[in-house]
Amino acid sequence: MPQKNDSHKADPEAVLEFLKSIRPFSDLEEQVLERISKRMSVDFFEKGSVILEQNVSQLSHLFLIFRGAIKINLIDSENRSILQDVRGEGSQFGALSIIRGVKSLFTVEAIEDTFCYLLEKEIFLDLLKRIPTFAGHLWEKFSSDVMDIAYEELRSQKLEPRSEEGLRLFSSRVKDILKRPLEVVAASDTIQSAATSMTENGVGSVLVTDEKGDIIGIVTDNDLRTKVVSKGLSSQAPVMEAMSSPVKSISAETICFDALITMMNLETHHLAVNEGNKIVGVVSTHDIMVDQGVSPMSLYREIVSQTKIEGLYPLSEATTLIVRKLITEGAKANDVARMITALNDHIVNRVLILLEKQVGPPPYPYCWILMGSEGRQEQTFKTDQDNALIYETPPEDWDHVKEAKLYFRRFGNLAIQHIEACGYPLCKGEIMASNPKWRKPFAVWRNYFDRWMSAPEPQAVLHATIFFDFRPGHGYLKLAERLRDYVVIQAPNRGIFLMHLARDCMSTKTPLSFFRGFLVEKNGEHKDRLDIKTRGLTPFVDFARIMALRNGLTETNTLTRLRMLGEAGAIPNELYTETVEAYEFQTQIRLIHQLRLLESGQQPDNYIDPSELTDVEKQTLKEAFGVIGRIQAYVKTEFRVLE
Amino acid sequence: MSNILKWLGLSKHETLKKNRQKFYDFNRNKSLEDYDFVVFDTELTGLDPRTDEIVSIGAVRVQKLRIALGKNFFCYARPNKPLPKDSTLIHRITPSQIIDAPPLSETLPDFVDFTSGAVIVGHFVNIDMNFLNRATRNFLGGTIKNPVIDTMKMAQFYEDYRKRNYYEDRVSRLSFGLNDLAKKYGLPLFEKHDALEDAMQTAYLFLFLAKRLRNVGISTLRDMIAAQSRAAFSSDRDSYTA
Repeated sequence: MPQKNDSHKADPEAVLEFLKSIRPFSDLEEQVLERISKRMSVDFFEKGSVILEQNVSQLSHLFLIFRGAIKINLIDSENRSILQDVRGEGSQFGALSIIRGVKSLFTVEAIEDTFCYLLEKEIFLDLLKRIPTFAGHLWEKFSSDVMDIAYEELRSQKLEPRSEEGLRLFSSRVKDILKRPLEVVAASDTIQSAATSMTENGVGSVLVTDEKGDIIGIVTDNDLRTKVVSKGLSSQAPVMEAMSSPVKSISAETICFDALITMMNLETHHLAVNEGNKIVGVVSTHDIMVDQGVSPMSLYREIVSQTKIEGLYPLSEATTLIVRKLITEGAKANDVARMITALNDHIVNRVLILLEKQVGPPPYPYCWILMGSEGRQEQTFKTDQDNALIYETPPEDWDHVKEAKLYFRRFGNLAIQHIEACGYPLCKGEIMASNPKWRKPFAVWRNYFDRWMSAPEPQAVLHATIFFDFRPGHGYLKLAERLRDYVVIQAPNRGIFLMHLARDCMSTKTPLSFFRGFLVEKNGEHKDRLDIKTRGLTPFVDFARIMALRNGLTETNTLTRLRMLGEAGAIPNELYTETVEAYEFQTQIRLIHQLRLLESGQQPDNYIDPSELTDVEKQTLKEAFGVIGRIQAYVKTEFRVLE
Repeated sequence: MSNILKWLGLSKHETLKKNRQKFYDFNRNKSLEDYDFVVFDTELTGLDPRTDEIVSIGAVRVQKLRIALGKNFFCYARPNKPLPKDSTLIHRITPSQIIDAPPLSETLPDFVDFTSGAVIVGHFVNIDMNFLNRATRNFLGGTIKNPVIDTMKMAQFYEDYRKRNYYEDRVSRLSFGLNDLAKKYGLPLFEKHDALEDAMQTAYLFLFLAKRLRNVGISTLRDMIAAQSRAAFSSDRDSYTA
């Protein structure tokens, strides 16, 4: 019959090469491979087509992918798809179902145009029977696969908000832990009767009502300690004298995590809980702690109880422990960043409060502002300091100006040193309150921003990425808020400035090669690694900033900016959804990377090694990077950027 | 005498008779998956069917719309005239490679058997069919009756469809050459100008297009043939460049 010539490389010779390159086939003898390669066939599956359907498809072949990629989904009893794996060139699928002799265990879908070599079921089973090492390798692979799947299932269940275990801080709402009936005392009741009521009910606070029964205040055990015991208020005095008013309240729908953050920010341990306009109870940090076991609150307590600045130095170390716990509980990176930011804020605030006591009160009100990632509340582990100081513009005579300059110079320098000693490295660009340039009266700051927005030099664009994300930290917050108001009013009208920001936003290249591989550092210390911050996250941060400036948002957090923009319809819905997903996923990858470094005693950095990622992570990361191109296309048309 | 019988179509080779029987009332209404296809390519001494000859045939069988890897056909054929040098430059078949090869008259029945019951597929297949049928007329006394599908026309139809339905704003000057299409569609690439490799390349292209066109309602052989004639008559197209 047909004569064959040995020089041909066409299939099935190409199959042979392929089989030799993948395990467990590579372990087989050449003649065996030759024989089976002639029995194989090639099939093509379009991107998006379903190759195998769970519990429906009969497996007649083992599939070996030699071009393209597939994803494997498990459809659970509630008909939800749970992603099990993404597999690419050189991988196989269908083996487990063939071995068990059942219909497909999973639903398999082509996520790219995919070519597979098909090996007949009978030949595959025959190989398994006759060649023990072949089977051995597969079983090894299966058991780890099965483990992965189990882990994945566990995790996906854990991420379900209705889960009972582990995730309470992020899943339970304030109303879920509100157990006690509402306790009130009348404003005219004695302090003693309020204290008795608290003791009898075993609670740390009680709400106070006026004659009409409306709630007008709250008395906590802290009030009793500070106002009654130490200041000698009579226990027979009316509760009104000791209560805090008005009552700060949060919605019963608030997630416990957010309630905790709110309490930390308000520096209180009790908050009233409302449903609509009606107060329905009180929630305390204690309630939340009991609900979730261990808490970041203990660290917070330790921070605020320090009376010497030196006592604060070791505390930031503890954030690592807390973060680890949050991650294992399934917290998303943005929540973790907010928690880290909140704890860091408290350390810095405490430093400043104690420092004021040490050097004396400021001659003019000042506001400590935070910038860059601190300003956006996106801190991961210890990031460099990015701060500055605004003070009330002194009267225009030399004595006043000098007094202010001298005080804030000393204050700024000392503050920076203490904060550094707390474990926050100095900013290499010297964007810190120790730099006289960034320690200015309000009027000067307003001029700074005005200049940046009207003269778009490269420097202004650079500054924009750091300074325009400022947030009030400590002190007379109104100063920073006034500055923000100015920016919010001005920025939307500064078209040329925005256009320059847009151009900068477009300058980052998507870190994907033409062939959809990752672009990694070519040489140097981080060779073959991917700078996920600069290459991956920055375009998203820039995008959120420019859109926020254009739309006059005061918010600085990237995710919150995106959410507000999305909800206001300021960015197209589809772009909004994929931007948020892509950004969140990348921050998560970075967070876990940094935690891993930190726990192995290394300095956290932003350099990811793509080869350490799973196929699923790789695929998702590629999709996330793909969004960058769409952001840039959008920005280009929206801001009419000319190339 | 035998020449006259051949000319009258009366003396036919057994292989051809079988071939004719198979396709006498061939059902064209079955789904494409239910047919066997033979995707083939030839290498030639030149492009003139009256004077030039086939020097190599490569073919691949497709069953259930899958390429069956063990079922290939390949042969060299010794031409009557010496191999022209410019053709060697294209297909890299040297005179010494074919000096010991049997003449086409000996291998042709094998190839016709190989196509038994199958639909023939090729890229710009008219040229190959011209040469093939000329050879079967000469050596076997008639032409083969297999239905024929041209992957180039499939590609033209597919591109027309896309242009109409996706309003692709840039009308690129698309080449319908085999390798350019393979690159455009991201198919695995094979060596050019070897009959079996080109046949394999065409088979991949065929698989790709058949599945794409199935999504737009081209599901039976009859649909496919109709789509091809439509593609052939639609006007604004760059001419074929090999």
